[in-house]
Amino acid sequence: MAEHVILFAGPMGAGKTSAIRALSEIDVVSTEAANSDRTVADKPTTTVALDYGEIGINEAEKVRLYGVPGQRRFDFMWTILAERAEGVLLLVNADADNPVETAIEYVKEFFALYERGGIVIGLTRADLVPRALIEEYANALADEMPDVMIPVLTVDARSQEEMMTLLMTLIANIELKQAVADSIGVGVGSGGRRAR
Amino acid sequence: MTLAPHLDSKYIVRGELALGGLRDLAPSLRYASLLTEDGFSVVSVAGKEFDSDRFASMASSTQALADAVARELQLGDNEFVIVAAAHGHVVQVRVDDHPLVLAALFTDKETIGISLTAARRTARRLNTLLMAN
Repeated sequence: MAEHVILFAGPMGAGKTSAIRALSEIDVVSTEAANSDRTVADKPTTTVALDYGEIGINEAEKVRLYGVPGQRRFDFMWTILAERAEGVLLLVNADADNPVETAIEYVKEFFALYERGGIVIGLTRADLVPRALIEEYANALADEMPDVMIPVLTVDARSQEEMMTLLMTLIANIELKQAVADSIGVGVGSGGRRAR
Repeated sequence: MTLAPHLDSKYIVRGELALGGLRDLAPSLRYASLLTEDGFSVVSVAGKEFDSDRFASMASSTQALADAVARELQLGDNEFVIVAAAHGHVVQVRVDDHPLVLAALFTDKETIGISLTAARRTARRLNTLLMAN
């Protein structure tokens, strides 16, 4: 069976767990713990290891969804889970402090996965800020990394339909990159689409 | 707003007391940490070569993963976690009634049974200390 392994990353409170719950066709495996740091995100629990969900695209294709903890103190989990992943769905809450800088910081953190497969950015809670920030993100990314193409969409992490659009955008990017690499005979590195 | 355990002197002082007793119970203790279940170090003893924040984060993830496995397999509540390696082992137990985990690293000179007994006894003692006014 062919499978895609997708990582859901982004700061605490961006909606990673909600997004995986919205998308997954199986009961999500969660590792929630009581949140001691209510100043960063005022929510009762936080993910401390991973979230795991699955989507079956067809009989022969499956998408595995792994959410990583948002806090940098858990960055060893980012490394562990990134080894198997082929793309990152990066969620950033638009109402956080310095969301654009945060998005760029995460893109840099997971840049190896951009090169291997792809990254898309989902801007959550965008309705809570005075205006859409998509152009700001696009401009900031273009300034910081001129040769990098990363789609940015506003999404509601709780919406299955909107998250599926974002996920399919990422998978299309990954497949395009793999097709280009195949056509010129260059591998895209480990962690690509797997068959077993 | 309630003060988080890693910022609360009650937890820090009583945690230090309990962890000090753990070393008496198991002399091969290399390092011990009391941490919040979301990975903040409350207090740690011995093992200055370890990064207390990183140890606490990893112990938090390990605990949550073990809890998830027990839950997924419908085994009931996870009672403890043991990571046994060639040169030592880590034992983790929760502190009842508090969002806390005790994680302790022992050398291979200690048997896992003694380490586990010592860690459980320490967690119970800490629970008693925290109940007292």
